[in-house]
Amino acid sequence: MFEAHSINAEHKDLIHDVAYDYYGQRMATCSSDQSVKVWDQDDQKNWNLSANWKAHSGSVWKVTWAHPEFGQVLATCSFDRTAAIWEEIIGETPPQGERSLKTWIRRTNLVDSRTSVTDVKFGPKSLGLQLATCSTDGVVRIYEAPDVMNLSQWTLQYEINCKLPCSCLTWNHSFSRLHPPMIAVGSDDPSPSNGSKVAIYEYSENSRRWAKTESLASIGVTEPVHDIAFAPNLGRSYHLLAIATKDVRIVTLGPPTEGSSQRFDVQLTAQPEDNLSGTVWRVSWNILGTILASSGDDGCVRLWKANYMNSWKCISILRGDGTQAKSDTSVTNMPTMGQIAAPNQSSTTRYYKLGSITNPNQVQKGLAPIPISKWQPIGRFQRMTWIGSDFTSYGSPPPLEKSAKALCGKT
Amino acid sequence: MSAKTMCVSQEGPANALALNRDNNQVVIAGRNVFKVFNIEEDEFVESCNLRVGKNLNLNFSCNDVAWNTLEDHTLATAATNGAVVLWNLGRPSRSKQQHVFMDHKRTVNKVSFHPAEPHWLISGSQDGTMKCFDIRMREATRTFMSNTESIRDVQFSPQMLNAFAAVSENGNVQLWDVRRTDKCTHQYTAHSGPVFACDWHPESNWLATASRDKTIKVWELTTGKPVLEYTISTIASVGRIKWRPQRKFHIASCALVVDSSINVWDIRRPYIPFASFKEHKDVATGLAWRGDPQVFLSVSRDCTLVHHVFKDASRPADQANPQGISLNSAGDVAFACRISNSNVPVSAKIQGYLRKTHLTSEQFCQATSSMHLYSVKAIRETRWMVESARRYLLSGRSLAEMCDHNAGVARDLGRHQVSLVWSIIKTLYWSSRGGPGDPNPPPAAGPLRDDNPVSGELAAATSGVTANCETEQRTTRSGGGVLNVSTTTNGDVQGSGAANGDAGVDSFAAEEENENEDTMEIFQNGAHLRLPSFSKTPMTQGDFFFGDGEMDPLDMDSGFGVGSSVGVGGGLIRGLGSTNGSQAGPVGVAGPADEWVLPSEAFPLRHEILDRSPPPETFPNHMEPSEQGTEQPAPLLSVAGLLACSIGLGPSMWECGRVVADALRHHAALGDVQMAASALLVLGEKRRSLDIDEATQELWMLGYIDFLGHHQLYNVASQVIQLSWLPSVNQLSQQSTTYYTCCGNCEKVLHRTGWLCDRCHSSEASLCGVCHQVVKGLYVWCQGCAHGGHIHHIQQWLATNKHCPSGCGHLCEYN
Repeated sequence: MFEAHSINAEHKDLIHDVAYDYYGQRMATCSSDQSVKVWDQDDQKNWNLSANWKAHSGSVWKVTWAHPEFGQVLATCSFDRTAAIWEEIIGETPPQGERSLKTWIRRTNLVDSRTSVTDVKFGPKSLGLQLATCSTDGVVRIYEAPDVMNLSQWTLQYEINCKLPCSCLTWNHSFSRLHPPMIAVGSDDPSPSNGSKVAIYEYSENSRRWAKTESLASIGVTEPVHDIAFAPNLGRSYHLLAIATKDVRIVTLGPPTEGSSQRFDVQLTAQPEDNLSGTVWRVSWNILGTILASSGDDGCVRLWKANYMNSWKCISILRGDGTQAKSDTSVTNMPTMGQIAAPNQSSTTRYYKLGSITNPNQVQKGLAPIPISKWQPIGRFQRMTWIGSDFTSYGSPPPLEKSAKALCGKT
Repeated sequence: MSAKTMCVSQEGPANALALNRDNNQVVIAGRNVFKVFNIEEDEFVESCNLRVGKNLNLNFSCNDVAWNTLEDHTLATAATNGAVVLWNLGRPSRSKQQHVFMDHKRTVNKVSFHPAEPHWLISGSQDGTMKCFDIRMREATRTFMSNTESIRDVQFSPQMLNAFAAVSENGNVQLWDVRRTDKCTHQYTAHSGPVFACDWHPESNWLATASRDKTIKVWELTTGKPVLEYTISTIASVGRIKWRPQRKFHIASCALVVDSSINVWDIRRPYIPFASFKEHKDVATGLAWRGDPQVFLSVSRDCTLVHHVFKDASRPADQANPQGISLNSAGDVAFACRISNSNVPVSAKIQGYLRKTHLTSEQFCQATSSMHLYSVKAIRETRWMVESARRYLLSGRSLAEMCDHNAGVARDLGRHQVSLVWSIIKTLYWSSRGGPGDPNPPPAAGPLRDDNPVSGELAAATSGVTANCETEQRTTRSGGGVLNVSTTTNGDVQGSGAANGDAGVDSFAAEEENENEDTMEIFQNGAHLRLPSFSKTPMTQGDFFFGDGEMDPLDMDSGFGVGSSVGVGGGLIRGLGSTNGSQAGPVGVAGPADEWVLPSEAFPLRHEILDRSPPPETFPNHMEPSEQGTEQPAPLLSVAGLLACSIGLGPSMWECGRVVADALRHHAALGDVQMAASALLVLGEKRRSLDIDEATQELWMLGYIDFLGHHQLYNVASQVIQLSWLPSVNQLSQQSTTYYTCCGNCEKVLHRTGWLCDRCHSSEASLCGVCHQVVKGLYVWCQGCAHGGHIHHIQQWLATNKHCPSGCGHLCEYN
């Protein structure tokens, strides 16, 4: 069961990325309006804007937090061909009653790319302070801050030419010493004839270079890849890689089978039988690597979890936007998920009924229409309760009329 | 009209281009190139090369070119030498040069014809003046002094026929009336850097300006005061801008540096180009719409002239990711997505198929995102784990207690599987281990727990002399071991109760403490030889037990006396088992077992040290047990040893370690690294039997520590680090712990050494109060008077004195 809140982020253009910090108590958003905003959660669990600044002279594609061991550090990348490292500095305490706006200062600007920098990610903490960027010219760059106390000095350690325009990358944050540093890169090249759009690179301590060790050719990802994410590996012997392409796919990279010349035993673990979300834009794992969130063109977040048979099921659908009535039909027809209910929505009543329940056990719990509390604006933070437990039902919040209009009106 | 992207290369880069009235010819002009092309259906055809003749002077070197708006044969160029040159394409001779105006003192940056009065030509120069020419008069008719250093662009307004705008390098925009040369009608600062270009909107009264400050600004000039309507920020200095015909809000721009693409912007969405043309390899220097919103031409520093069509443009907004999603450590979901408006196809499927159709301009500029947070309200995985992490016991109690506790915690939280695993671990390791190894948990433990009567008694026994009852105790416990062992032999852990039942002792195995009295009774019955009958194994020779217990109480006690610690019990029993009744057992075992006991430490010992089983090397003279030991690591050792030797059923031993290891691996793979790591910690040394390689153990520990870090459970994390047996993990809490020392006199941080201050240039503050030498190691000092010295000296001193050795008279307290 989730409680849905709406934040009026007041970005003037599309938000391209949202990132929680390590503890999940701060959040950074970045937008095409060239700004980055940082949100802090207060004791009442409300999110307040704590900083807002113009970060780039182009759309800011991605924002990511460094491990807190290195301080409050963000990295952003932009259409303006740069990536930047930001550090929060503690200023004077504001006068009573005023909310402090924290100051973030640009520690460095990485200007090596000649094209739009599409993704930026910090490497695992065990490698020190490393940063990977990728750009549309197909180059992945690995930077390192040799002195973690000095964030203004970054050296370009490696350039990997991926040949295809890169759209996303992910580090494998494994704690195992048996796993060398590893990144996966996705390309949004539209031409299927250019082969697999995912490549995995590993760092070899012996040759001191990054080399492509796997291209997932057997999985056959030839459509554009929009996002890619290694699951956090807290104790598995294999790696899980989620790929957002025309659908969402989960790939297992296991240790190679005996006698195989392959670097990994690559298995396609999950791919929805019927893709209802349209193009999948984003994938994100929880910190245990047990739940995958994906979001697609239909504006819904789907949460996927493996059952004990290691088969991935959609465990809930979170509707970001109550205005899309038509996708309900697609939702009800989702065969792989079994327990599904469609929000039956009208403009006057904000009730959510279970449309169809295939598992009779759950009828008891979910049948009664559950009233949804109305929006209770708390400053820029709006809250409502959204009933819907993981396996029984789900609903969606009422239309964001107010905020949506306000936003539309502004632009 | 041609609707294809096409390209032609020149010998040199062009600085500007201009289209004729009918948009079917284009002239390009640069320092080394000056040509007219006919624009055919799918190619450019050179119709005239104007750069001909004997003396190619600087008049041919052009900064700008303009095509007369009415007369199709008249061109004007702005030359780098300050000349404004008129060209007549209709001249029959090879040279088309018609007239040269040498009015400007410096480079002319721009020439421009009046849209309605074709004989009016205006120029803007680096000398800061603008000159208006009447091309019929062959002379400059008017001069406008801008009072700025240089004019970069000048253009007549299409709306106000007498007005023109000029932009200059100091960031100013001037609006002039062509009839008034003394003073501009308006002047304002538009940009913080040089303004390189301006363009009047063909329909509205808007003026767009482009600057090195990377912005394009749109000014509303209807009212007297210029109003900034829109600002587009681009990624580089903007060199040229041109409004897109028939599209009110669209403007094309090219950069002066860095960016070789030509972007068309919708000014209502000023952050991301509506369309981007990437045909050029170097920055574009000039662009001109072909009277059609779909087609324009451009020249570039890469020496090409390109005919662009809109359908070949890339749409950066289409490639941009419209959504963001993130999960935090609590499992909350943050989600931002584009607010879809009703024009956009709604059904996901349809939308998927229609992706190839680009967004219309209207859809393009309605780009906003909504953001939602979905916070988890029901108990979920991570919350279980956090709660468990807080409540789990990882050390300080016996294995059984910890397992019970942890199983209870898991049960409380509704995690029955996890609870079951804990119970199974307890059953497997505690009961089987409990008998033979029983004395191990309590006796050597520094802090004995009062709530454990057995250990209390045992402690008494350990320290005690040769009391019969104590001996009995001991044998009782040994017997317990045998009992359990025998049941284990049956290969069915849970059958232990039944096995015991046969012997008339109910549920002996599991809760030893509780059953202690029962066992006491049994053995007090003096049934020495009943043991064999307990275990269904005929070969068991129970004699040795009581042999040990009764016949050799002194041995026993001496054994325990020497042992005074963990391993003894296990060693003892193992010895018994393996020696199969030979009296070599107890003492011989106890000795080596001692070597395996860690020296007691200042803090309460951790349980795994207590639980430590004697290693196989303890029995160098008995091959069997040592083999057993190597095959089946610690926890089962004693059991196995006993069984194997006394019963000879080695092969039938059930290797529960593997099963438990599988269980832990399974949990780790499911993401429950907590189970794996906690179990390893709780099992202590018994983890060796699991046969899990160290890298995996390390992975689990580090993974769990990271998980704890995410939830800010630092205390638990520290405990895990502290309890960890892996150096790489254990050292985590020692890394980046730095002690900074400072000078006792001036408090300056000591960098080089701990005893010499760089500022005081003395080591006075680190002299020993007793020997007056510099202390170069541990310096101990009195908190009261701050005098101190070598620790040994101070100790010696304080053994006989109470006051400070320095003679300050302070009554030193070092406690």
